[in-house]
Order: sequence, then C-alpha cells, then structure tokens
Amino acid sequence: MVTSKGQRLQFELDDDDLKLFCEETDEQIELLDTCLVQLEGEPEPELLQQIFRAAHTLKGSSATIGHKKMANLTHAMETVLDAVRQGKRAPTSDVVDALLAGLDALRILANEVVTRVDSGIETGGLEADLHAVLESPAPEKDSDAATGKGGLTYALSEAVQSAAHESLAQGAACFLVEVQIALECQLPSIRGFQVLQELDALGTPLQTWPDREVIEAGAGELSLAAVLISRQSEEQLQAAVGVVSDVSRVSAKALSAEQLSGPIGAAAGSPEAPAAQGRPQLSVVDNGAEAAKAPKRAAAQSVRIDVERLDGLMNLVGELVIDRTRLQQIREQLAAVLKDANLTELTENFEETTAHLARVTDELQEQIMRSRMLPVRSVLTRLPRLVRDVATKCGKKVDLLTAGEETELDRSVIEEISDPLVHILRNAVDHGIEPPEERRALGKPETGTVTVTAWNQETYIYLSVKDDGKGIDTRRLRQKVVEKGLMSREAAEAASEEQAIQWIFLPGLSTAEKLTDVSGRGVGMDIVRTNIERLNGQITVYSTPGVGSEVVVQLPLTLATTKALMVMARGTVYAIPLVSVTEALGDHEADIHSVNGMKMLRLRSRLLPMMDLASVLGDTRPKNIDAGRFLVAARHGDRHVAFTVDRLLGEQDVVVKSLGDLVGGRRGITGATILGDGTLGLIVDTPSLVNEQALLVTA
Amino acid sequence: MATKIDSVADVAGQPAAEEHVVIFQLADEFYALDIQAVQEIVRMQTITSIPGSDFWVEGITNLRGRVVPVIDLRKRCSVNAGEYTAETRIVVVSSAGGMVGLIVDAVTEVMRIPGDQVELPSSIVSVPENTYLRGVAKLDDRLVSLMDLEGVLPASADGEFDFAAAAA
Repeated sequence: MVTSKGQRLQFELDDDDLKLFCEETDEQIELLDTCLVQLEGEPEPELLQQIFRAAHTLKGSSATIGHKKMANLTHAMETVLDAVRQGKRAPTSDVVDALLAGLDALRILANEVVTRVDSGIETGGLEADLHAVLESPAPEKDSDAATGKGGLTYALSEAVQSAAHESLAQGAACFLVEVQIALECQLPSIRGFQVLQELDALGTPLQTWPDREVIEAGAGELSLAAVLISRQSEEQLQAAVGVVSDVSRVSAKALSAEQLSGPIGAAAGSPEAPAAQGRPQLSVVDNGAEAAKAPKRAAAQSVRIDVERLDGLMNLVGELVIDRTRLQQIREQLAAVLKDANLTELTENFEETTAHLARVTDELQEQIMRSRMLPVRSVLTRLPRLVRDVATKCGKKVDLLTAGEETELDRSVIEEISDPLVHILRNAVDHGIEPPEERRALGKPETGTVTVTAWNQETYIYLSVKDDGKGIDTRRLRQKVVEKGLMSREAAEAASEEQAIQWIFLPGLSTAEKLTDVSGRGVGMDIVRTNIERLNGQITVYSTPGVGSEVVVQLPLTLATTKALMVMARGTVYAIPLVSVTEALGDHEADIHSVNGMKMLRLRSRLLPMMDLASVLGDTRPKNIDAGRFLVAARHGDRHVAFTVDRLLGEQDVVVKSLGDLVGGRRGITGATILGDGTLGLIVDTPSLVNEQALLVTA
Repeated sequence: MATKIDSVADVAGQPAAEEHVVIFQLADEFYALDIQAVQEIVRMQTITSIPGSDFWVEGITNLRGRVVPVIDLRKRCSVNAGEYTAETRIVVVSSAGGMVGLIVDAVTEVMRIPGDQVELPSSIVSVPENTYLRGVAKLDDRLVSLMDLEGVLPASADGEFDFAAAAA
C-alpha cells in the first residue's frame, strides 16, 4: 500500500457516524489494551473471546468506513487471536508484543479518521510480524483444534424433505442458506426478521433454524439457516440476503436430491448431535454469540448522552435551585405580610408547595449530577499496559492490582485525573520498586506489587497508589535540595523524615540516579500537585523505608460544585474553597505579631503571613470599620497564609460559574457563584494568592 | 450621497436601506445599537464588583442563573456618569464573547432609521480611538450615534497581574 504522509484521506462516514465510530473504536482499543496484557500466561476462554470480539468489531467498523489499512491490520491481529483462541498458538510474550505493537498502530490509524490526514504509518511490517508469530513454533494442540472446529449439520423433517424433492422435480432449485449476523450488531432480532423477510421474497423457505416462530419472536440468534426453494442462483441469493444490515456472512448452496435425504451441512463427519437440538451449532462463533449477549443486555439499559446536553441540564437545574431559594424568601416575606390579614391557609398552602418544589429540585440536581458520573474504571483500564511498559523498560517485574473500579466520579474529574495518576504510577514503578536482584537479596518476592485503589468518602474520591518498593530515599532528597540550592545544609539536615518526604513535591527535583525516559527530569511531582490542587484536591505521600510508599490523591466528586467558606470583605461576598482552609478565627483570639513590617499570625507552631483578602485581590475601596475582624488560615501545599476578612458567613456548597472571557482570567478569582439572595459571590483562587505571597516574601 | 451610504453599509455589514435600532441615552447624548444584538433590557439590579478590573467594568450580575459581566457604558464612552436613577437600565447584548450587560441612563425607543439619514463618523469627528462609532444619524430633532458593539467591547479583559509593580 502506498502511503503519502500528510495526504488528505476520505472515509465513508458523516459526522454522526464519525462520533459513533470514535466512541466504538476507543472503547474497543481500550478493552484490547487491558485484555492483551492479561492474555500473557493465562488465556482464559472468556478473556480470549472478549479480545477476539473486540478485534472483530474493530475490523468490521474500519472496513465499513473504508479504512483499508486499519481493516487489514485488524484482520492480521484477528488471525493471530483466532489461532490463540483455537489453541493453535500459545499466547507467549512474542505474541502479546506483536499484538500490542499492532494496537499502538491502530490508535494512530483510528485517529486518521478524525484528522482525515494520512499519518504516514506503514502497517505492512506489523502485519508481517503478526504473520511471523503465527508461523513460529506452537504448542501441540493442533489436532484438538482441527476436530473442534466442527461445521454444522441440519436435520430436515420428513415433510420438508418430501416438499424439497417435489420442487426439485418441478425444476426449482433447493438451497441451504446460512446467514451469520455480525457480533457487534445491536439489533440481532430485527436483523433475523429482516433476513427471513428477504428469504420469503426470494422463494419459499421450507424450514429455518431457529424455527420461524422463534425468529419472528425476536430471539436474537446470530446464526440463521434455511432450506429455501427458489429459482434464483446461488450468487443472486447471497447478494439479496447480504443487503440486510449487519449480515456478516451469507452462503447459499444448491442441494442435490441425495443431499436432501440425510443431514445436510458442511461437516458430514460429525453426526446428528447438534442438529438434534433443532438449531445450528457453530462451535466457534456461537460461543461468541452467547458471551456477547450478556454485556449487550446490560448495554440496552444505558444510553450515551452528549456531555454538552448534560451540562445544559445542569445549568437549568442550577437556575431552578436559585428560583427555589428565591421562592422560599418570598414565602417568608409573604408570610410576614399576610399573617396580619389572617390568610394563614393561603400561606400554608404556599409553604407546602415551595417545600415540595425544594425537595424535587434537590433530588433532580442530585440525579443529574449522578448521571454525569462515570466509574473510575475507564481510567484504571489503561494502567496495566502502562505498568507493563514501564516495568519492561526498567527491567523490573511488577504486578498491578486495582480495587474500587466501581467508584464513580464526575466526568470532568475523570478527564483531569488520568495524567496525574499515570505520573504517580510511573514513579512508583520506576523509583519505588527495586530491580529483581535487589529484591531477592532483600528477601522480598522478585515481583513487586503496585496497588491502585479508589474509594468514596463523604463528598470526595480518593485514589491511592501504593507500592512495596524501597520507599522514598530521604537521604538522597536531603542531598538533592542542598545541591540544587533549594535549602541550606543545616535546614535540610534538621528537617524531620515527614518533612523531607514532602520535598518530592518541590519543583526541579528528581532523585532517580540516572535519567530515564520513564520518569523524565524532575518536572514530575510538583506539576502533579499543582494540577491536583487546581482541581481543589489534595495529594499526600507516605513512605516507610524498605517497605514501600503510598501516594493518596483526594479530589472533589465534581468540579461543578465545591464546598466553600463564605466570607465578607469590603461589602463583597467571597467563597474560599474549603480544601484550602485550615482554620477560621476572630482577631481577638488571634496571636498577631509584626515581623519586619509585615503582619504575621502566630498559629500554634506556625507563622502565617497575613494578607487583607480584598486588598490583595485589588479592591481599592476604603476599608470599613469591620475590616480585618476575622482571620482565615489557608494553605496551598506546605505554604500557609492568613486572609483577613470582615465577616464569616459559614460553609456552603457553591455552584461554580465561569466569569467568561470579558472579566474572567483575573488573578485570584476562579469564578462566581450565585448566592441565596440571587446576588453573586466571587470564588477565591487560594493557590495563586498563596504562591504570590511566597514570591513577595522571598523577593 | 449614494457613495457615502454604500460605505456605511460596508462598515455595518448590512443593507444601507434602513437601520433597525434601539436608542438609549448616555447623559444627554443619544446612541443606538442594532436591535439584532440586543437580548433584553432590564432594570438596574445588584452588581457584584470584581476587584482590580478596569474602571468601566462595573462587575457581574445574575441574569436568571447566568453570570453576566456588566459594563458602565457611560464610563466606557467617557460621558458624565451620574447617579443611577429610576430610568437607568441594563441593556443585555450578545456579543462574540458572550452576553454582556451595558449600563445606560435610559432606553428611549426602538426605531427604523432610513439609510440616507446616516453620516459617516469621519465626516464629523476625527478621534482615532473612537472605534465604536460607525455613523451618526441625523434625525429631525436630534443626533443619534450608531454604536458598533464589538468595537465598544474589548476583545478580552487584561487579567494579567504585574508582579514587579505590585512588589515595588
């Protein structure tokens, strides 16, 4: 195949189909990614079936849109998988490697459909590799497979036999028509019915497998067969039935008079057993059909929804929530006015209605929020492959265990969590787990274990990455911070173990003895922390020398709402996200000192630089009499500050609204939120203010 | 005259035959915005100021659940910005950057202005920074400045914070 990189490509699909194609291929590629890694060593039939199905689906959909390269490559992969499934070839690591290499190419090819630009990737070599793998020595299972392959036979009832003979005598032909409906078909029952209608139009079906009634009732069989009396040719029949959507294979064979007398079908060797059940038994494909049905039934109960549509619903519910709050306020006002007019019945009715509306609104909000949630599985499925790749590159043996795949979190969080998680996991394998020799010497099992666990607690989701490696080398960290000029030797030596462990979050620090393409150049954990804190999350690291380390990420369930401490400063209401707030106190109980002209709050063992919240945000209005009456201690990472505010208004769940292009992008403010009285409050971006303060202090 | 009308049409990007506009007052001057851009006109309501923003950005307001930035058009157009009165309105327009509220002293009427009553701004004023004026309509009793919406709104607010300046 000639490739010319950068050339425009044409595919046979419109925008709607494109979306479907992308969703489907992404799903199947992810699935293959996870399953192929598991394939090595323990080829359970079910797993094999799953993999084969995914490859088959990819082949089908790429062929449908006319992506020849992708179809050819998936075909080559499918051939190998088929051999594995039939036990002709053991899934050794060379097989898995070849398949994974193919999968990587498939990703690029699938992306071509979106970009419509030729990536210039050559698949010939990969196909040859896959082919070579098949040719290479395989275990002794051929004989079983050959007999197990089994064709199918159909037994004709006597009535049918005589009817068939009669038509043959009248010059019509009698055919055995076998139809295979694609595994990925969403509506096998309807397709079956359509095939039947097609057959009716072409001639007289004397008998069908499954029975006509079964097909008409919508059994959803993927393999259909019929004895058909028709005056059409084999080719005409095949073409006509092949028109039905999702039909993956049609064969029509003319039957002679002798053939009609016995059981008919390809495998004359295997006797009546399958036919006795009254339906065709395709030993290979049928397994697939059975297995394919289970997930399909589950899928029928869920619907894909455009995220934008869900966002729209969220916005509408947000408005409803605000209206509810206003209605409650109006109710209170009305009650006060109408009490005198002796209209208690009216106000009671009104009260009931608003209370009901409030309940329904709350529930609606909750439900819509839930519908945006996805199980964290979609992130975790990518990890086995990653761990395998990283471990291979570092020459380590690592098992990955995952738990809590069902834990649900908001789509927006899922999108953001993937990169940090990958980074943490890489670190665990690259820096945490020791090489096999070292582990053996230490009396540990040669294969290290990394455990990724997800769980919910209150309104947060936690993700933990735990390894049984050597733990964080604080001795190296102490050296590093001094070498990099981040700290004096004395300070570095004086720090406690716990403090030293936290230094892995310092920018520009990597303790890897040699630079690898796995963990890079120390741009790691500080960026991970910044990203997670930007999402109002927190990251904590624990480590025990020689036993292992654990990184725990805490994230809000959704980015659409956040818990915040509401404060008032110079007449404006601000929401300070609760994750960054450590304490709030009145100025009369605060221990305030002046150091070098800067006000500091002494809070237990810590000195917190004080900043007037309104001033630091650029509010130039004059301070009022209440200014600085309260202090809010906040932190970002290990930096702490104290904001002075006029009043504390309590905690609240706030719906985060963007400020838009015109006034957004302002330092110190991430968005706005609608308050109970319909006015707006501003959401404070604590991390940026804390960092700014640190810069000012060091400057 | 015919050539002038043509060039106005080019600037406005619509037929020169007639302008369908909303007319409002800033101090004692009359301005007009294309009615297509105007979403709605609301009474003055609570506006939350955003510290550190430009002097003509009044803040943000809640328009039925949407957070909408509000600009004081009087400050933006350098006319005398007096106290808010019962006549003060927020003209909510939809611009390329989203919905924006414009504070005006009063909304007087909606009308169609014949194209032959519109003069090009260059023939009247020659202030280069007046990017938002695209013509002046000579009505019988007064002059109405035709405002170009995208010209009056900045592309996006300058949210950058100057560390050096703040530290100094």
